[in-house]
Amino acid sequence: MIKIKIIEDDLSIANELKEILQRSGYLAEVTEDFSNILEQVRKEQPNLILLDINLPKINGELLLQQIRKENNIPIIMVTSKNTEVDEVLSMSYGADDYITKPYNPTILLLRIGAVLKRSERVSDKIFYHNLEVIPQKGIVKQENDEIILTKNEMIIFLYLLQHQGKIVTRDELMTDLWNNDEYINDNALTVNISRLRSKLKEIGYEEAIETRKGQGYILHE
Amino acid sequence: MSNKEYLKDKRLYLIIGTSIYFVILLILLAFKVNIEATLAITFTYLVGLITILIVDYIRKKTFYTDFKNKLDNLDQKYLIVEMLQDPNFLEGKILTDALYEIDKSMIEKINEYKKQTENFREYVELWIHEVKLPVSSLTLMVHNHRDEQNKKLLSQLTRLDNYLEQILYYVRSENAEKDYLITKVNLSKVISNVALKNKDVLLAKGIDFIVSDVDIEVLTDSKWLEFIINQIVDNSIKYSKEKNAFIKIVAKEEKDRIDFAIYDNGIGIPEADLPRIFDKTYTGKNGRTSKKSTGMGLYIVKKLCTKLGHKISVKSKEKEFTCVKISFFKDDYYKVLEKETK
Repeated sequence: MIKIKIIEDDLSIANELKEILQRSGYLAEVTEDFSNILEQVRKEQPNLILLDINLPKINGELLLQQIRKENNIPIIMVTSKNTEVDEVLSMSYGADDYITKPYNPTILLLRIGAVLKRSERVSDKIFYHNLEVIPQKGIVKQENDEIILTKNEMIIFLYLLQHQGKIVTRDELMTDLWNNDEYINDNALTVNISRLRSKLKEIGYEEAIETRKGQGYILHE
Repeated sequence: MSNKEYLKDKRLYLIIGTSIYFVILLILLAFKVNIEATLAITFTYLVGLITILIVDYIRKKTFYTDFKNKLDNLDQKYLIVEMLQDPNFLEGKILTDALYEIDKSMIEKINEYKKQTENFREYVELWIHEVKLPVSSLTLMVHNHRDEQNKKLLSQLTRLDNYLEQILYYVRSENAEKDYLITKVNLSKVISNVALKNKDVLLAKGIDFIVSDVDIEVLTDSKWLEFIINQIVDNSIKYSKEKNAFIKIVAKEEKDRIDFAIYDNGIGIPEADLPRIFDKTYTGKNGRTSKKSTGMGLYIVKKLCTKLGHKISVKSKEKEFTCVKISFFKDDYYKVLEKETK
């Protein structure tokens, strides 16, 4: 399980964040003692760190530099300091991403996903049952058959695939699409999903995407 | 200082001088001094009097002409003290000393206010960052406790955050010091952030958000630009039509600049209001009649654009459209710096 360390002194935020991360299937840990964070990081070896800049006892940017000296754990700065200087500094110290408060949690999760993917350099091969998904080419194929997905359909399919067996809300899909610069409206989303469905039907996965009324969609495992 | 003015100023001395001459003349006549001696004394006396006047005139004329010229040419008049030559007469010395003292006390006073404003500014910035914590906490809580009230709560939180951003950038735009950073910024990234921020309200109101050709780099501060575009898009949303509303965003590369336009088919701006929309606290007909408006948004936007060296203009037709255009000049960095140092 992927372990995420939350270094944030506002406990209310930290705990809500923990809940969100856990719900998305991450193992989240809230830092309570800010005196020896470096030591904690060494011991816990998290897969990713969410780091605030304004911390008691230590400055987040300084901490970022110290952690970077030792290892390459992906770090996302999460802060209410929103000047260009802060962001440029953090990025030059080796942060992987920079998010300002308040933020939309769905976007935070997308960014976490993106950073993790970059750091793991996982193989490009993604599978759904016996279907191979190749996002770069916009292709989904099985042995002797393939379908071509549009960019929007691919974004939707990948999101459903990453959350297989769980209900995905329309809002989440919409956020992912908009996060990928596809500013589509509600109708277009409905159209895209029904096209994706009919394309999956072509290669024998008719009932793969189920609609849960008033909740969203599920891609069956 | 003209000769006439000078003589007028010295008329008392002239009267006294002339009177004394007549007294001397009477004394000379009383002692029956011969005519040659009387003439010689008269001549000496007159030459003496005129010489004194001329010497005094030249000393003062040089100093005051120089003083006036420098004062006229100076942009910041109070700097005159630094530029004056030392006067070689008493009144001049008294004047320069007094000016020096006055300047000193004024500068002390200004510094006091400067410090006060700076402290206030720092506190406001700090305060905004503090307030953002409960706002983010609330946002997360709302996401964690899903129910139908969610959207309403989130939209109120977004509003709150927008107002916080407005005061933050107001404080920043009023700050004389340079606290932005110009880098190469891809427009599509900034627009993406603005789009995500406004996604919910755009979808709820059924406003189509159409973006094309924005994969271009411009020289700007990305955070400031994000605020600027967010304000403009926020206005487009506020003043949109009920049906078939859209916001179109396009960028176009020209030879020396990049033009960027935000076009909406909203209620537009009356022609009479157009020239004043960037004025502080000006709300216009739209602001007064339909929506709550502080008249600060566009004022701040304009100020930030000026600081960054971008040109902003608005075209509109009532009931039809509004188009805000921002021009980013290429390699404008040094020009921005120049403007700042002035």
